[in-house]
Amino acid sequence: MRILLTGAASPLGRAITDELGEGHQLRLFDPEPIDADERHEVVTASLTDVAAVWSAMRDIDAVLHTGEPPAQLPADELARDQQLLDEATRGTHILCKAAVEAGVKRIVYGSSLDLFAPYPEDVYISEMWKPLPTPAMASMSRYLGELTCREFARDFHVSVTALRLGTLVREDEVAEQTPDLMWLDPRDAARAFAGALERDTSGSPVWSRRWALYHICSLPPNPKYLVSAAAGIGFEPQHNFAANWRSV
Amino acid sequence: MVAKTRLAMTMAAKKKVLFLGAAGLIGPYLTPGLVGDYDLRLTDVKEHPDGIEVEHVDVTDYAQVLKAAQGMDAIMNFTVNRRDADLSFHVNTCGAWHVMRAAAKLGIRKVVHSGPQAVRFIYDHDFDVDQVPSRPSTGLYGTTKLLSAEICRAYARTHGIQIVNFLFNGLHDPPSGPIEGRDFPVMSVVWDDLIQACKQALELESVPGGYQEFNLHSHLGHEKYSLERAREILGFEPRPNMAEFYRRPVREVA
Amino acid sequence: MAAKKKVLFLGASGLIGPHLTPGLMDDYDLTLADVKDHPDGIDIDHVDVTDYAQVLKAAQGMDAIMNFTVVRNDPDLSFHVNTRGALHVMKAAAELDIGKVVHSGPESVRNHCDHDFDIDDMPFQPGPGYYMTTKMHSREICRIYARTYDIQTVCYLFNGLSAPPEAPVVGADFPPFTIVWPDLVQACKLALEIESVPDNYQEFNLHSHVGQGKFGLKRARRILGYEPIRNMAELYRRPTDA
Repeated sequence: MRILLTGAASPLGRAITDELGEGHQLRLFDPEPIDADERHEVVTASLTDVAAVWSAMRDIDAVLHTGEPPAQLPADELARDQQLLDEATRGTHILCKAAVEAGVKRIVYGSSLDLFAPYPEDVYISEMWKPLPTPAMASMSRYLGELTCREFARDFHVSVTALRLGTLVREDEVAEQTPDLMWLDPRDAARAFAGALERDTSGSPVWSRRWALYHICSLPPNPKYLVSAAAGIGFEPQHNFAANWRSV
Repeated sequence: MVAKTRLAMTMAAKKKVLFLGAAGLIGPYLTPGLVGDYDLRLTDVKEHPDGIEVEHVDVTDYAQVLKAAQGMDAIMNFTVNRRDADLSFHVNTCGAWHVMRAAAKLGIRKVVHSGPQAVRFIYDHDFDVDQVPSRPSTGLYGTTKLLSAEICRAYARTHGIQIVNFLFNGLHDPPSGPIEGRDFPVMSVVWDDLIQACKQALELESVPGGYQEFNLHSHLGHEKYSLERAREILGFEPRPNMAEFYRRPVREVA
Repeated sequence: MAAKKKVLFLGASGLIGPHLTPGLMDDYDLTLADVKDHPDGIDIDHVDVTDYAQVLKAAQGMDAIMNFTVVRNDPDLSFHVNTRGALHVMKAAAELDIGKVVHSGPESVRNHCDHDFDIDDMPFQPGPGYYMTTKMHSREICRIYARTYDIQTVCYLFNGLSAPPEAPVVGADFPPFTIVWPDLVQACKLALEIESVPDNYQEFNLHSHVGQGKFGLKRARRILGYEPIRNMAELYRRPTDA
């Protein structure tokens, strides 16, 4: 497949590139320049650049929209939050609009499990639970992007899969740290994107089958975030921070 | 209840209300009905159609919103951009966020928000429709206002700001006389009822769950779009039921 | 002491009926009826809802009718039992001046609203499947008869029904929109006892698990006074050190 990958310069983007780069043709999209393998095309542009997004959408079969914010953000808190909001909402809308108008049938979006942080420790959080985004722009804007993608699943014959990702940390980089229930190794996140990529329900006349939502997280001994539904896209986390949990 | 509210409002110092979008399609119709009971600060990015002085406040500029909100008891956000691919996000979504951010920072506990209804596309063939998941679709106006509602919800939940969001299909003057030959419009509100609703929203002590949205209208009879929650929570009632203007004359048969 | 209300219980041998009877029989004079034998060998009257004469005869002298009959997948029987059967029940209630009917059927919100929250009142969006379409017809029939003949009709809509877990469940979230038997017994009593319901007809998405912020119980609480006897969601708590 020819895949447009946004946020390609982020750690998540790079993990997805590693996971999918062999079997697919990737067009790597990011406002930061990327030093990529020559197999892959690179587009250095912002999601809010309509012309660039449209052009990048040519001949694309699937869009993997990591939802990752640009690396370079204003230092000023207000300006930073404004940009995050703009990228997540208008940027996502521009991307999805270009995708459906170009006939793309699969869109995968990276949302966040952080939406459930306000819940107490003793509940099991599945996809049935109501997200409780706080005004913290990083997670609020991620949620708004998810809602935007969902509307496209409603209106168009496109398969849209939202993956609510845990906190991305590499297992080998947190060896001595106290583990967090929301940890997710980017390699497993990438596998989730790979699994979601295979999902195509764009032909269904029922919008709720065109849309799907999965929680993606590692599996600690006493999980709070349940990921069994993601078995539907073949997700099974390989990096569960076992050593960290053993030492707790 | 209405008399008691009026007396309370008369005796207390008038609430200071920042009215964003006061020169738009809706604002000028509300101001005359609110100015007697509230100390309104009228603001917009354009001039008032009736030549009334408005302060220039652009909701896409947080500094301007914050400054205008200083000393206010409540904010009414009637700003909107419906069609522009960029401005619709900047005004409707980011603007709403600026309003909520300013309210949180300044300890303002009441916001009246506004937007389009998002039910007609889906539920026009159903009845007793009240609190249903909205279906805005991907149009700029609907999507950006949906996102603004989620921002409002997040702030209501986190900062205890009491938010009422009025959702509209149509807004207009009441008919000047009986109308023959056609049915009344679905889910449209007349200006006096909207003024009434704004006052009720501004006076409401606490909004259940911190955030409530109401599909507001003035025409009862189809039993399609319900006003049950607006009645229960706000005490809203169309005055009169505008559907009465659309009665079919029944000629007596000799 | 008032005489027990006489209640015709149609579908008493089905998937739901046997779980309700024990909880209701002390308070109501139940006439158990179905087209098949009761799984626990209890004596039942043979009443086929697709036959009006049988329904009318069984309903003689009753104060209320509970209709838990259903066929889910047959292209003919689903219409005869779900649609026509509901018509027969309401027609008999009107003819015999029975002022209370408790109806039942599947919810239709999960198809469309699994991605939304705070759902209480929702227009029915059943889709064209036999079970859902025919139960949609039945609800409209009930609504029309309720309105015309002043029959106070409560319709319960279900997604899942089960026994409560016997012990805390570890490692799984609770099932969305699922009711446990004791709560349904309670709800049936509330429906049978309520004097009147708004517009003579009300439907309720009923469940026993409060917590996800998804399927609400506001109206059931407000109108019926329904509350899960125990919030079943508490049996699905993740163990913590605290």
